[in-house]
Amino acid sequence: MPTTATMGTAATRAVRQASTRRGGLFAADRYWAMALAAPYVAVFLLFVIYPIGYGLWLGTSLASYRTLLQDPIYLQTITNTLLYLLFGVNLKLALAMMLSGFFARPGWWFKVLLLAFMLPWAIPALPSYLSINWMLNGQWGLINNIIWDLFQVDGPPWLDSRTLALGSVIYGHIWKWLPFWTLIFLAGRLAIPRELYEAADVDGASQAQKFVHVTLPLMAGMYLVCTLLSTIWALGDFNAVRFISGGGPALSTHVLATLGIRNAFELGDPRLGMATVLTALPLLIPLVILLMRQLRRNEVTI
Amino acid sequence: MTRITRRQALAGIGAAGAAALAKPNLARAAGGEVTVWWSQGFYQQENKAIINAMADWEKRTGTKVNLSFMTDPDLITKLTAGMQTGDVPDLVHCVTADRFLVPRAAWNDQLEDVTDVLDTQKAEFIPTALKASRYYNAGQKKYSIYSVPIKCSTVMNNVWRPLVQEAGFTDADIPKTQDAFYDFFQVVQDKLRGKGKRIFGLGYSMATKEADSGNLFAAFLVAYGGEKIVLPDGKLNIDDPTVRKAAVTALDRLTTPYKKGYVPPGAINWGDVDNNNAFYARQVVMTPNATISVAVAQSDKADQYYKELVTYGRPLGNDGKPMLGILAVSPCFIPKGAKNLDGGKALLRDFIQPESLNSYLKETRARYLPVMMKNIKEDPYWTDPNDPHRPVAVQAGLIQPTLPNWMNYNPAYAQVLSEQIWIQAEANITQKNMGIEQAVDEVAARMKVMFEKYQIG
Amino acid sequence: MSLARTARLSRWFSHTTVAIVSIVLLLWTLLPIYNIIRVSLQAKEEVLSSSVLPLAPSLIAFDTVIHQAYWLLSTFWSQMGNSFYIGITVALLTLIIGSLTSFVIGRMRTSKGWMLTHAALLTYTIPMSFLAIPFYSIMGKYGLINNPIAVIAVEVTFATPYAIFIFQQYGASIPMELDEAARIDGASPPQIFFRVYLPLMAPALVAIGTYALLLSWNEYLYAFLLLSGGSVVTVPVALGKFLAGDEAPWNLLMAAAIIYALPPLIIYYGFRRKMTGGLTMGGVKG
Repeated sequence: MPTTATMGTAATRAVRQASTRRGGLFAADRYWAMALAAPYVAVFLLFVIYPIGYGLWLGTSLASYRTLLQDPIYLQTITNTLLYLLFGVNLKLALAMMLSGFFARPGWWFKVLLLAFMLPWAIPALPSYLSINWMLNGQWGLINNIIWDLFQVDGPPWLDSRTLALGSVIYGHIWKWLPFWTLIFLAGRLAIPRELYEAADVDGASQAQKFVHVTLPLMAGMYLVCTLLSTIWALGDFNAVRFISGGGPALSTHVLATLGIRNAFELGDPRLGMATVLTALPLLIPLVILLMRQLRRNEVTI
Repeated sequence: MTRITRRQALAGIGAAGAAALAKPNLARAAGGEVTVWWSQGFYQQENKAIINAMADWEKRTGTKVNLSFMTDPDLITKLTAGMQTGDVPDLVHCVTADRFLVPRAAWNDQLEDVTDVLDTQKAEFIPTALKASRYYNAGQKKYSIYSVPIKCSTVMNNVWRPLVQEAGFTDADIPKTQDAFYDFFQVVQDKLRGKGKRIFGLGYSMATKEADSGNLFAAFLVAYGGEKIVLPDGKLNIDDPTVRKAAVTALDRLTTPYKKGYVPPGAINWGDVDNNNAFYARQVVMTPNATISVAVAQSDKADQYYKELVTYGRPLGNDGKPMLGILAVSPCFIPKGAKNLDGGKALLRDFIQPESLNSYLKETRARYLPVMMKNIKEDPYWTDPNDPHRPVAVQAGLIQPTLPNWMNYNPAYAQVLSEQIWIQAEANITQKNMGIEQAVDEVAARMKVMFEKYQIG
Repeated sequence: MSLARTARLSRWFSHTTVAIVSIVLLLWTLLPIYNIIRVSLQAKEEVLSSSVLPLAPSLIAFDTVIHQAYWLLSTFWSQMGNSFYIGITVALLTLIIGSLTSFVIGRMRTSKGWMLTHAALLTYTIPMSFLAIPFYSIMGKYGLINNPIAVIAVEVTFATPYAIFIFQQYGASIPMELDEAARIDGASPPQIFFRVYLPLMAPALVAIGTYALLLSWNEYLYAFLLLSGGSVVTVPVALGKFLAGDEAPWNLLMAAAIIYALPPLIIYYGFRRKMTGGLTMGGVKG
């Protein structure tokens, strides 16, 4: 079975190498290349270099960082952000990976179910998160009303304790973005040549073995890229916390994105706000470098 | 200067589209337009009153008004970003800016001095409103007028009469003095719980966000004698034994009922709307609120407005004498860098004539009170004896003694409010079982750090 | 145990698993959505009651929204139009800029192609919401405050890197021989782009178009920051205005939200067949 996989890649590699060699043919079209890339270069200069540069400049005041470190909420926010990323991203992607296998099965039921399952991605964030916020309200939320109807006891105060509120935010994030990543993985799975699985069947491999020996090796690179992308995006996700827990109770569930907004606008100190979010750079820069590396590696093999 | 060069540079890069779109903006400023940002009203009529007032002024002066309504948090967000970059409107009204924006902006010399505008009506404003328009400017090293008051409010108490009756009491049974008044609703809760109701006696806002929880704490702090926490010269006075005792008592009186289960557990997450909602849903028997909005919002339901909802002002002190209250004053102001400063000032001068203000405030359905005694004296609307709520609010806000909030003495106190220091102390007590004395120690320590940054004089 | 029996048992087992997973998935997915629908069918005050089912469900809220009969929704359809304008422009621009760039990187194979890839990824060094203040500032300098172009620019900026990435990965599956053949026939790069590259990229274009549209459809922070005036705001900003005030009619908010959610749903369901193929990442084939 592993032989088949190597053969498959070897064959594609041969084709790819041939095309790479031919790439030089277009070298004369440098001006066309520049013209076609110009729109993106313009966007990049106007809306990436300038704002990031301005942001970095805003965040250069050392006093802001001193204020930040004195703020007990900041330190708690760092912990929250890490928990949010650790659980939010990894649970979501692990679930997405499993569900992509579930949805990859043939049959009308899976297609119908997938349609319903995609709803959270398509419904706008603001009303969804607001709905989750109400649903989890300890006094009159849907969940606790159901619990009361079924068992005549008060349900847990979902948003009134730090742990539960942070859990609720992570739940909201996963709920909203699970469909998108499931779709990505589903696309990945469907792109795996069927012959590989058929060969594995011939070898008498079980479902689990097929997953470990065929699916996983082929999707590992993609999984890593998705983890990196999702972490970067989740770090900037402001809506889930803002509308589900609002950073409460007692400012104990803020993440960097929402604390940055709070410091900049609620406390009226834009420099402090920028400094707050810039402290995510030590985490972000390695992620972006890793992402660049990973993609370059893919490019090389392509 | 930089604006032009940047634009030229832009055009050079090839952002022809962006540069072309920049032109209408320049033209507008040159054409003498006044850009106005206004707190979105709670009712349509509130917005309409402003739209009409602006349209009327447009007609009279020929100057175009470019008016936008935004919610308070959105407005503060945009203004903070705008002041950073110099792109600001010519006139702003923002209800909560008195604590969340103006003090700090005045300190940083980011607001226009509007003494000349205020002076046109100086004789009309009530003294507390005048005091509440003064802020310290660190650049100029002096206090001056950076905001013009247009409406005000003070903490009121809303009670469901049917729930009190269901517990076996009448209006007359409700005590008049501070401690007895609030304790009474614990008894009501016990009685109603005895009848199998899922209900709470006290709807105290205790969340570290927005304004209600801070207003409630301030009312309690003053009720127990803490009004000198910041002295008029801007000095922090938290170590004064009277002030400290008041702080301890206020925290105790707010957190103990919560711990004993007389306040809904979710109150530590209540936004400004949520105590109203809990009250409407009859999950609480009473709730303190910054205005009489709870009743006003139901004014189309005669039964509720006239029979079921009762509004109380400040209770009497425990000694039976009237107490001081904090008057929250909602400001109009002009950010520095306004492109049409004269237009903004002219519009504001026109708007604060007693008659204009009065007709606008009536459209808020008296959710806010006038800042001019003339309105109260000349318009029977405010003292209408048939109305169960409005005259009560007028009594508490304008007749009884009031004082301005402490950020008028020192902007550090605005930071205390923005960072919700007192409410975090409440949370420490209710959520982490911290002792009250320790919680006050922590508050005092944080306040001292904040006041360090705002040295006056 | 006979072989047939094992097979039967395992089939039964797998059916049960599918049923259980399906139920859990449906509950998980639909509970918050049910809550949205429940609220939209209730009377204003009932929202805070302890009911699980609406007591007297009615479509009045939808009627009010459709006829713009509540003051905060008095320009709902024009706001919907703004959302459409911004969303579709963002999707189109993302597709144009992304496909051109990926064509240059992946097909023309210029020596500087890696710079474009890295530049695109550099956009992610600071997440979108972190740049609120810088963006407000530069849009002020470009004179674009209160202009939908500002929001479009921000959203395109953050959607293109992912578009470039997916296009590149998807494009890798299109044989270079096709370009080659066209080239021999004397086609210029733009001709190859339009006649060979774009048609074959259709699934990826659909997928990224939907992605960009949804990104724009979801955006709240930048939309409210950059658009303040009444006539240019999008639906999420208008819905945000419900959050201030003492007597918010939540049923109207949720009814408006449901109507707002319909277009992307229809678009997604219309294109779903192409979607799955279009989001393929090269990692699998590498």
